[in-house]
Amino acid sequence: MSTTPPLRDLGKEDGLNGGSGGDYNRLRELLVGPEQSRLEELQRRLDDRQLRTEDLSQIVAEAIALRARRDHSLQRALNPMIEEAVRISVKRDPAALADALYPVIGEAVRKSVANALSDLAESINQTLERRLSFESLKWRIEGWRTGRDFGEIVLTRSLGYRVEQVFLVHRETGLLLQHVARSNEVLDSDMVSGMLTAIQDFVRDSFGGKGGKGMRSVEMDDGLNLWAQHGPTTILAVVVSGTPPPELHDLLQRTLERAEAECAPLLTSFKGNATGFAAARPLLESCLLGQQAQKIAKQSRFFFAAFAVMVLLAIGLGFFLIARSHRRWDYLVERLRNEPGIVLTGADRSLGHYELVGLRDPLSTDPDKLIRAYGINPQKVTSRWEPYVSLDGKFTLFREFEAEKIALEQTVLRFPLNSAQLSAEQLAKLDDIEVHIFKLQNDGIAIGRKFTIVLQGNTDPSGDEAKNDALSQMRAEVVQKALVSRGVSPDMLRIVALGSRQPEQRANGRYLTELNRRVRFRVVTENEAVR
Amino acid sequence: MIKKKICMVGAYGVGKTSLVSRFVNSMFSEKYQTTVGVKVDKKVVQHSTGEVTLMLWDLAGEDAVTTVRPAHVKGSAGYILVMDGLRRNSLGVAIDLQRRVSEAVGKVPFVCVINKADVRESWEMQQADLDDLASRGWTVVETSAKTGAAVEELFDTLTDRMMQEPHVDDSTADAVAG
Repeated sequence: MSTTPPLRDLGKEDGLNGGSGGDYNRLRELLVGPEQSRLEELQRRLDDRQLRTEDLSQIVAEAIALRARRDHSLQRALNPMIEEAVRISVKRDPAALADALYPVIGEAVRKSVANALSDLAESINQTLERRLSFESLKWRIEGWRTGRDFGEIVLTRSLGYRVEQVFLVHRETGLLLQHVARSNEVLDSDMVSGMLTAIQDFVRDSFGGKGGKGMRSVEMDDGLNLWAQHGPTTILAVVVSGTPPPELHDLLQRTLERAEAECAPLLTSFKGNATGFAAARPLLESCLLGQQAQKIAKQSRFFFAAFAVMVLLAIGLGFFLIARSHRRWDYLVERLRNEPGIVLTGADRSLGHYELVGLRDPLSTDPDKLIRAYGINPQKVTSRWEPYVSLDGKFTLFREFEAEKIALEQTVLRFPLNSAQLSAEQLAKLDDIEVHIFKLQNDGIAIGRKFTIVLQGNTDPSGDEAKNDALSQMRAEVVQKALVSRGVSPDMLRIVALGSRQPEQRANGRYLTELNRRVRFRVVTENEAVR
Repeated sequence: MIKKKICMVGAYGVGKTSLVSRFVNSMFSEKYQTTVGVKVDKKVVQHSTGEVTLMLWDLAGEDAVTTVRPAHVKGSAGYILVMDGLRRNSLGVAIDLQRRVSEAVGKVPFVCVINKADVRESWEMQQADLDDLASRGWTVVETSAKTGAAVEELFDTLTDRMMQEPHVDDSTADAVAG
């Protein structure tokens, strides 16, 4: 470089002298010519936009790839631009983006709807299962009292299941991020985790559609269940003994979401370092729910069976009682319809209450007695009976008997003072008396009523009471003899000597005391006490 | 606690399983490979940065009816490409597998293994084949499952490569060699 100034000076000098300037230029050309043309070429390339763009286009992809591999600054720089570009694109023509996203959206919607439906079906199942259980009622009351979620109570109170192990697995690599277990006697959890992922892949590849996430549950013969919940980057898998309640799925889903959220920075840059995931341990431990499995499960099943049997028996008994009371009522109505002296016009039954309406001859059987006889509570029966006279033969005879009885009992035979002799006028009354007695006898046989006729002898209050007793006895005996002589059976007649007792009510004046010198007739049917 | 998923791939019958069975913790029976298509084993290696747990996905051998499932190799931090020195065609299978695996998992480290080194004299594979592999820039280890030769080194080598800076991967090695 130190030689150039003299050369330049020389050139200038030559130029001034107008001498051999061409030589200098030639010399310069010879010395720096190639570099100069290259410099010019470079200058041209830099100035020419077209060429520069072409150059850049050849390396831009590699440059981006190289930078993207080094760190995430390029992604961060591009992020707002891409967002803005998408926004502009949507604003200008939403159809274009919609078309591009269509295959993805269809799939996403289908998956989301399928998930929602499967959850719905599960929740319907569980609702039906729970609807009748006594325990669930208890839990609902507890939830209402303490303000806790019903699902949460189900999980903590349910017997017959126990979460034994919980795995948090990185989805893509199948590497175990975190594992908790109740006991230490577990197989190598790393290998289990890997194989679990492999089997998930296997099941999905073999039987599932392209979009499937994999198995959600596996049930084994010996009461062990494997339940898995799939998140975007992780799988939460639990091993459960017994019969877990469906609410466990919800808990797993929530736990998975929280674990993914808490470990999000670790998960996005996950390269195999599982140390940081110890933070998720308490979350996984909160899934180790449930109590001793099988034994209690059986017991509770037994109690449930016993409860169900009792409910069935109660229902059966209820039906039986209802049917029986219906049958009894029908029989009663039938009986009342056929009962002489009763005309049933209405018989109604509603909600355990009964109503009877009709006509009733007072001589007919008491309907209340029939109601009781048929095993129905009379309190539950409202009856309205209009009285009427039945023309049934049985009642005619009854009435005749009653009429003869009244007529006979109204007949009085009178005697003179201190005498047991009947006057001719009184003797004439015996004809009527005889007719009354024979009619009573005939009707009594027809209606099956046995009776005796009591002859009550009386005196007036005057004189000695002992004498009066004897006199009243004699008076009754006179009448008895007279009747027996007319053919009345002596067995039918009995004598009662009343003396001056039981005087005629109206006989308070002296004149009327003579009315008490008499013999009266009382018809006593079999069940009545002798007066 | 560093964990890495690595895959064992290769043609059917090249001895992948016997290669690892003596050196790893196995829990699952070999029938998993024919049913599920993979068997997962575990190998803990000591590395300068500490203990590294390798989860070995021993995939069913590639043949006319069985192909490697992309789902199984997905997420691998490295893989071992196994060939059988006695069978030259296992080389072709391995080259094809390498291409497909790298498509599925990207440019992650891998080590190429030629098994049955104990009977090297009867190998069908020629020196030219080994040169071909070397010219691809692949790391080749000759092992013997029977004698156990170079098996531990194989895992150590792969672990070393995986534990290097995450973004300096095989692609740069390829570029230099190519």
